[in-house]
Formats: sequence, structure tokens, C-alpha cells
Amino acid sequence: MKKISIYLLALVGACTTAFAQVDRSKYPEPGPAPQINIGDPVTFTLDNGLKVFVVENHKLPRVTYSLVLDRDAILEGDKAGLTSLAGDMLTGGTTTRAKDELDEAIDRIGARISVSSTSASASSLKKYNDQLLELFADVLFNPAFPQSELDKLKKQLISSLAAAKDDPNSIIGVVRNAAMYGKDHPYGEIETEKTVGNLQVDDFRDYYNTYFRPNVAYLAIVGDITPAEAKELVNKYFAGWQRADVPKHEWPAPQKTQGNRVVVANRPVSAQSVINIGYPLDLKPNNPDVIAVNVISRILGGGSSGRLFLNLREDKGYTYGAYGGITPDKLVATLNASASVRNSVTDSATREFIHELKRLHEKTITQEELDLAKAALAGSFGRSLEQPSTIASFAINTEMHKLPKDYYKNYLKNMDGLTLDQINNIAANYVRSDDLQITIVGKADDFADKMNAFGEVQFYTVTGDPEVNMAITDASVTAEGVIEKYIEAIGGREKLTAVNSIRLVSEAEIQGMTVSIEQLVDRNKGVAVQNTKLSAQLLSSVRVTKDAVTVSAQGQSQQLPADAAAAYQALLDIFPELSYQEKGAQLELDGITKVNDEDAYKVKVTSGSNVSTEYFSVATGLKLKTESELAGETTMNNYATYEGIQLPETITIVNQMVPLPLKAVTKEVVINGEISEDELNP
Amino acid sequence: MKKALSITALVGLLLCNGVVADAQNRIEFKEFKLDNGLTVLMHRDNTTPIVAVSVMYHVGSKNEDPQRTGFAHFFEHLLFEGTENIGRGEYMKKIESIGGTLNAYTSNDITYYHEVVPANYLETALYMESERMLHAKIDTVGVETQRSVVKEEMRQRYDNQPYGTILRETFKRSHQVHPYNWPVIGSLDHLNAATLDEFMQFYRTYYVPNNAVLSIAGDIDYAQTEAWVRKYFSEIPAGTGTINRPNVTEPKRTQEIRDIVYDNIQLPAVILAYNLPPKKHQDSYALSMLSTYLTGGNSSLLTKEVVDKQQKAVGVAAFPLDLEDGGVFLTYAIANMGVSADSLQHALDEQIEKVIANGISERDFQKLQAQVENSVVSRHASVAGIAESLAEAKTFFGNADEINHEMAKYNKVTREDIQRVAQQYLAKSGRVVLYYLPKSEEPKQ
Repeated sequence: MKKISIYLLALVGACTTAFAQVDRSKYPEPGPAPQINIGDPVTFTLDNGLKVFVVENHKLPRVTYSLVLDRDAILEGDKAGLTSLAGDMLTGGTTTRAKDELDEAIDRIGARISVSSTSASASSLKKYNDQLLELFADVLFNPAFPQSELDKLKKQLISSLAAAKDDPNSIIGVVRNAAMYGKDHPYGEIETEKTVGNLQVDDFRDYYNTYFRPNVAYLAIVGDITPAEAKELVNKYFAGWQRADVPKHEWPAPQKTQGNRVVVANRPVSAQSVINIGYPLDLKPNNPDVIAVNVISRILGGGSSGRLFLNLREDKGYTYGAYGGITPDKLVATLNASASVRNSVTDSATREFIHELKRLHEKTITQEELDLAKAALAGSFGRSLEQPSTIASFAINTEMHKLPKDYYKNYLKNMDGLTLDQINNIAANYVRSDDLQITIVGKADDFADKMNAFGEVQFYTVTGDPEVNMAITDASVTAEGVIEKYIEAIGGREKLTAVNSIRLVSEAEIQGMTVSIEQLVDRNKGVAVQNTKLSAQLLSSVRVTKDAVTVSAQGQSQQLPADAAAAYQALLDIFPELSYQEKGAQLELDGITKVNDEDAYKVKVTSGSNVSTEYFSVATGLKLKTESELAGETTMNNYATYEGIQLPETITIVNQMVPLPLKAVTKEVVINGEISEDELNP
Repeated sequence: MKKALSITALVGLLLCNGVVADAQNRIEFKEFKLDNGLTVLMHRDNTTPIVAVSVMYHVGSKNEDPQRTGFAHFFEHLLFEGTENIGRGEYMKKIESIGGTLNAYTSNDITYYHEVVPANYLETALYMESERMLHAKIDTVGVETQRSVVKEEMRQRYDNQPYGTILRETFKRSHQVHPYNWPVIGSLDHLNAATLDEFMQFYRTYYVPNNAVLSIAGDIDYAQTEAWVRKYFSEIPAGTGTINRPNVTEPKRTQEIRDIVYDNIQLPAVILAYNLPPKKHQDSYALSMLSTYLTGGNSSLLTKEVVDKQQKAVGVAAFPLDLEDGGVFLTYAIANMGVSADSLQHALDEQIEKVIANGISERDFQKLQAQVENSVVSRHASVAGIAESLAEAKTFFGNADEINHEMAKYNKVTREDIQRVAQQYLAKSGRVVLYYLPKSEEPKQ
């Protein structure tokens, strides 16, 4: 009987198992952890010093060659843009193939070849391997640096720089780096129209001859190729590459700021503020703390389980994503945390960022967080091995950053061994919540006043210059004195007062067309006229008197409202500075700033309803720039003398009416010449 | 000696050619279907101990109620909130804690959820996807949080991104009748107006086994994987709601639509958009090759002529956005400094008209074939990519094996086909021409 019941029970048991509801209340148990194998590349060094790493993998019939150059960071200075264009100059044509032929030859075998200033890569199907290498070697060793390519690339880069001024994510990089490192540091310098314009073909030849050397290069060969084949090909194509000493460069570490620094670049059209919070620190890639710092970074802001994401997105809904972490670097490492948030929560989001940094500094990492971060990093390490190129990059990194030989083989083991105590201590060491640089690109009106709570707000231009960077130490300098110096510099009060009429014709390029602008002013009659012409055709005409400003275009006339008219009415004075005192204009000296690298006094002028800011060179006294809400920004360059009076030959206008900076060049100046009634009444 | 060598090399090359003519590596896979209608695809590759698990739901923005746009994309967010057994916020955390990665995306046609996990966690990933399909948690807290996240996504992707609205503005005009008209991200007003009940209804209708493909690729055992799939997915009931599959054809237009969009940009952009046939149409392959001819590689027609020689643009791209019911062939270029949108458009048109009038040379055609071969061969370099390709082929073509015939389909395209599709689809009449101009040029009211 007993036997039977046991038998029955067993049967029931079996049935239950077979028809059991799936237990959904807990996660399934994982299987045994798989072994992660990291293969070794076949490694050899050519006589010229080129180190080669071959990873054989026949999964796809393809081969990829990647070359990396290891050089110190360099300062490009007044040639900033050199390294941006260096790669494209190499693919811009060889001594045997013009660019067209080269492009055609690469596409004909469906290959890819790309070059940057410190790397180059080429890939194709295995069957084209020989042709690919022949082309790659041609690009690397026989560059022609054609002038025509340089002209074209400069034009494109300058266009992109113009476009970048509207992209908040580009702006934040520029402003953050300029403020953090200074523009005279490799990481802080900025490409401008001017520095790109300075580039000559010889600069690229020099750069290439100096840095494209086998003794600082690593070549990874990955894919459908045997080490023996690879060796033969490398000898054939790379053995003739000449070694040479490559210069070393050292750069000072950025100074630690005392207290927070809030750097704001105003972008009035922004729908979101882009926030970046961080600071520079010292953490080289071969520092033993790096593995722990990677874990800490993951906890702070790596992915959707990072504290930043959970707080700013999942809890507060301020942003679509918030991320951050520490990036080790040979020269300067940085902690960076960033997010795009809606304008109204700019300060609240900043507060949360700081809160999270503070929390991390205070040794609050829990065992659960540590386990999670370790698992996530181990997983991503494991996944990365799916790509055979990973093994090659491991080998190159080991060499380049002088890591321990078995760094990557021990990576998982070393990470796993980190204890909670160790992690919290290292976090306290590297993560801080004070002396931060808080960089924001956005609509300053919406948040700037609230940002003072975090530290002194400094305004930067979108091209990374401080809006005002110097106080005036010399108490004898006054706004009135600056104006007088300007009047003196352009010819003196007497000469200027004698100017009763002026005719000024200048020309500008707009979208490939030449537009001429004619300005006529008769001070005695109190009339000014501004005509804009395209070829001979009159586009618009503005007639200015002290009572009214009338704009005529396409057969229609319209009188401007008083506030808009005021900006034009300043024309009537020819040299309005002469009568500032008489008209009771308010002058206010607001420090010294830079205008195109030149120190300039900044003077705020309020005359009636018209408010403008004028910039005068400290050195020469000449006016360099004027800006107002109505007329936008006008920069003056290249002063020339007309009848003893200095006038700018080139003026550049940036305002709401022109899409790109409009550069007008003076073609004709007539002082006290005849201006007919007809001309004054168009 | 030298001669002998080169002959050997030549023979070697010929041999290689012979082998590679069939170069596309075959992707082996197994397929089965559960009683509730779920299609399951499995591909085994033991080289790396990882596995990709994904579910493709056949629902995108085109299935939405025109008064409730943005639902599919909203679910892409909502379905990470948790399930009856997986707590709020735990979904992402769990995948990370097992060393996996996950993400999702939504298109006009589909929503795709995918993760890659260490191979020993395959069962966990399957359990989690089954939870999401069986009983996702859809509550007020989740809806409220994700609403504000989507709001920020909208600002970041469209409003604060120069040229960010190109697709939205294009489809608004290229599809006036078909639901491709509205953007995938939808309307905030609609999302704000929607009730919890409406969200529940949408979930029960579309996120069901009979509207999904489960695709698994990586270091797996076929039998074990099938057993786990049956264990976790069999009990999910088939959906009974009515799936709205729009059955409208965008009428052929004969008039060009021209418009200007003012954006926070410095350089003008020109967009030329031509309506495409449905994705399954055999011309898709020729159109894809045509796009490579126009902008694939530095020697491609538009890159060479418009960017390189005439220097009218800083960049140009042409690609078919081939959607299930017919998307658009999108060509766009960003002007070089000082070049007007008009002049740029003229330059683009001139080249496209050349293709229409003269077709392409035999030499260029061979080049095109080499480029296509390279991209087809390179495509399946990861298990995640293979899982996705299989799921797409099943969803759109009804046959996962389609991925193994891609090269053959391209090989069928002739030189004449390229000219023919250019004539047929890239005609000026009926296309959409958009100029993106700096806001500073916007006429003041």
C-alpha cells in the first residue's frame, strides 16, 4: 500500500512538472558563465620600426588595414585647421593619380580608404586585396598635396565652421574647451576662418614629413588573411617607408579653478539648454586606477542605469538623456557630464548634476551598484570581442599606452576583484562637486540670473571668446577719453567737423552675386540715402531725415516705426561721436575685451532710445566694432586715409537680415563732393 | 621567374573570382511558429559567447489613429517601464546587470526591441521579452514620466537640431493621404489627450504574438532555445483586436511641390524627395543601386560633380527610405558658403537629368556592382545585425530566407534598369522640393 502511494505520488509529481504553470515570479537561473577567450594577434616589427599586428578571421571574405600614429598633441596656433584637413589632403591625389583617378580606382573595387591626421584605414573584399594595398600605399607614401584640393577643402571647412555656429552641440565643445584649457593649448585652440585661411600646401607637406613615420606607427591587419600572406604584403608595401625622429611636445596641465566657474554662451533661439559640467584631472591610461574609474563612471552616468540618467531623465523628466564619466588621457583627463534640458530647468538640472557628483564623492556606492556596473562592463567587454578588430586594438593600446603586457587578459579578473571599499575610496579621490566648470549653451535670458547661485557667470561668444575679460586698471581711462582718442585717431575734431557731405560706395558678395551699397549723406540738408543695387538694378532705397525713415523696395514704400528708424538716423551725423556731449548721450566704459584678437575698450552708448555698444582699439584708438539690437554687429577693418580722414575699407555685418557674415569692401569715397537733389530724393 | 609568378597570381585571382561570385555567406537559420501566431527565427553562431534576442512588432506610426499619433513610438518608451513581475525601472537594470545591452526603435512600419546578452542568459532574455508581450505594466506614473521624456526627445531631435526637421517636413508633403504623413514621434497634443484606457487598448491590439517576430541569433543550442521559447511564449494569448493596416495608396502627383522651411541654420539645404514604390517592389534593388551611383563613394556622380568639381555643396546624400507602403527617395545637399539654394538645386537637377537622359556607362555599372557586393558581404558582421535582418525579411517579405537572396537580386539588375528607374521614379513632376533657409531670410510679417 505504502509502495503504491509512493508510486502515485511520483506520478502526480511528474504530471505537475509537465503541466506546471511557468513560474514568472522570478528570473530564470543562468547557465554556467561562458569562458571568454582573448586571442593573441601575430606580431612583428619591420626594420623601419613599424609594428604590425595580424588577426586572422575568415568569417567574412574581407580584409581591413588600420594604421595608427602615436604622436604628442600639437598646437596648430594661427594654422588651426591643419590637422582637420591633413587626412583629406592625403586622399586629395598622389604623384601618380589625380584625385579623380584615385576616387575612381577605390570605388571600382568597392573599397574604402580614409585618412586622418593620426590614422589611416583601408578595407575591401579579399579578392581585391592586392589592388587595395597598392592604392593604400600610394595614398600613404606618394601624396601630391595639390593646391586645388587645398583651396576646395578650405572653402568647405570654412562653410562648416559657419554652420557650426548654429549647432549648440558644436558650440558647447568649442566654448567648454576654450574656457577650460585656454586657446593656446592643443585641446582648447579653435579653428576660425582666419586660421584656416592661413593654411598653405607646404604646411601639410611639413606635417606629413614630420609625423607620418613608421617608427611611431602601428598597423593592424584584420580579416580573411593568414599571417604569412600579411607579412609578405607588408614587406612589399611598407618596408620602404623611411624612419625619422618625431618631435616630442609637452603641455602644461590646466590650472585648477578656485570655486565654480559658470560659462554661458548665449543662443537666443535655443529650445533647450545644453549643459556640460566637468573639470580636468590627471589620469593617464596606464594608471592602475583606470579600471576602478571606469566602474565609477559607469555608476555615475554610463547608460540607462547610471545615476544621472535615473535622476534627470527617469525621475525628473528634464531630459531625453543624461550621461557622464571620466575619460583617461595621456595629456589631460577630464570628468564630463552632460545633458540637453528644457530652458526652464537649466538651474534645477545643474543642481542635480552637482548633487550626483557630491553623492559619488561621499562614498555612497552600494554593493548592488558596484555589482551592476561590473556586470555591465564585463558584458560590454565580452560583446566587443565579437569584432575581430578588438583584439588588434587591444594589442595596439597595450603598446601605445605602455599597459602591462597582460592588461586585457586580466581585465575582467582585475575588475571583478575590486571591493566596495576600494571603489568608494577611489571615487572620493577622483570625483568632486566643487571647483567645477559649468558650461551652458542656451537662451541666456531664461536662466542666466539663476545661475549665479552656482558661481560667477562668465559670458562667452559662440566662438569661445570671453565677452569681457579684463577690468580696466588705469583709473585715468574714461569713456569720454576713449571717444576723444578715437576722434583724434581718425583725423581730429577739426577735420571731421568740416565734413558736410559724404558719398560712400561699397560692394559685397551675397550668394555668389555682387551687391553694391551706396550711402549719401548731406549734413546741411539733413538727408541721408542708402541704395542697395544688384548689378544695375536697384533693390532697395532708404531715405533718412530726422523726422522719418522711408524704405522703398519693389515699387512700394514704407515708413519705419520710430524705434527701427533711430538706428538709421544716426547716419545723419556722419560722425555721431562728435556730438555725443551736445546730445547728452550716456557713455559707460565696460572693461576691455577682445575683438578679433585685438584688445578693445567696450563703451556702451545710450542716445535717446538708441542703445549700442562700441569697441575701440586700445592700441590705435580706432573703432573695431559696433553692435546694437537693431543693427546687429558691424566689424571694421583695414582703415585707409581719405582726405586726411581714416575710414574702414572693409566692414563685416552680421544681423538678422543677412544669412552669413556680409563683408563689404569700400570702392569709392567722396568727401564734400556734390550730391544732387535727385539723388537725395530717390 | 617573374613571369611565372604573375601567371600564378592571375590564376589565383581567377580562382578567387570563381569563389566569390557566390560570396554572400549563407545565413543558416531555423524557423517555427507557435499556436498563438508568434513566428520564431533562430540562427546559431558559436564564435562568441553572446546571443541577440529581439522582437519585431509589426506596428509603426502608420497604424495609428490620426487623432492619436505618436502611440507606437510612445510604446517604445512605455514598454521599458516594467511588467507585472518586473518592477518599474528594473527592465533596463536587469539586462545591464547580466552584462547585456538593450535598445529599441520605432519606424513608420515597425517597432523593434532588442538586447544582446551573454549566452548563458538566453533564458533570462526570453523570459523578459515574454513578460513584455504578456503583461506589460501600463500605469499613470509610467505614462507621465515618459510623456515628459518624449517632450525632451522632440526638442533635442527636432527643435534644437539644425536641419532636424527634414524628414518630418518631407513626409508631410510627399504623403498627403497615406499615414506616413505624420512623424513617427507624433504629436504632443495627442499624447497629452490620450487616456490610460486608450494606451491599454493599443497594447492589446498590436503587441501580441500574432503581430510579432521573435528573432534569436548567437551562441545557442537550437533544441534548448526552442524549448525555452515554447515555455515562455506559448501561454501568451493571441490578440483579438482589429489591427489597422492602412490600405491607401498615395495618389501619383503630377505637380511638383515646392516649399521653404526657415530653420536656425547658416548654410541653405536643398531636399529633393521622390515617392517610391512599396518596399517589396522588385525595383527596390535598382533604386538602391541608383542611390549608390549618385552618392556612394567619392567618385559617385553627385559627390564628384556637385561637391568636388563645382563646389556648390559641402555634402550630398541620396538614399531610398524604402517603407512598406512606399517611402521616398531622398536626396539632400547642404550648400557651400555663398551658394544659393537655387543654384544648388540647379546643379543637382542637371546631374539627375543626365542619368535620366543617358543612363550610366558600362564601366560605372561594373563599379556599382563591386560597391554593392562589398556592402552586401559586409552586412552580417554581428549577431545583432543578423537577428534584425532575419526579422525584417520575415516581417516585410514574409520570408526570412530573403536575406540569402539579396546578392542574387542585385545581380539581376541591369544597366538599363538603372536608367529606367531613374526615368520612372526621379521625374520632376510630383516630387517634393524643399529649401532649408536661414531664419534670417524669413520675410518679416
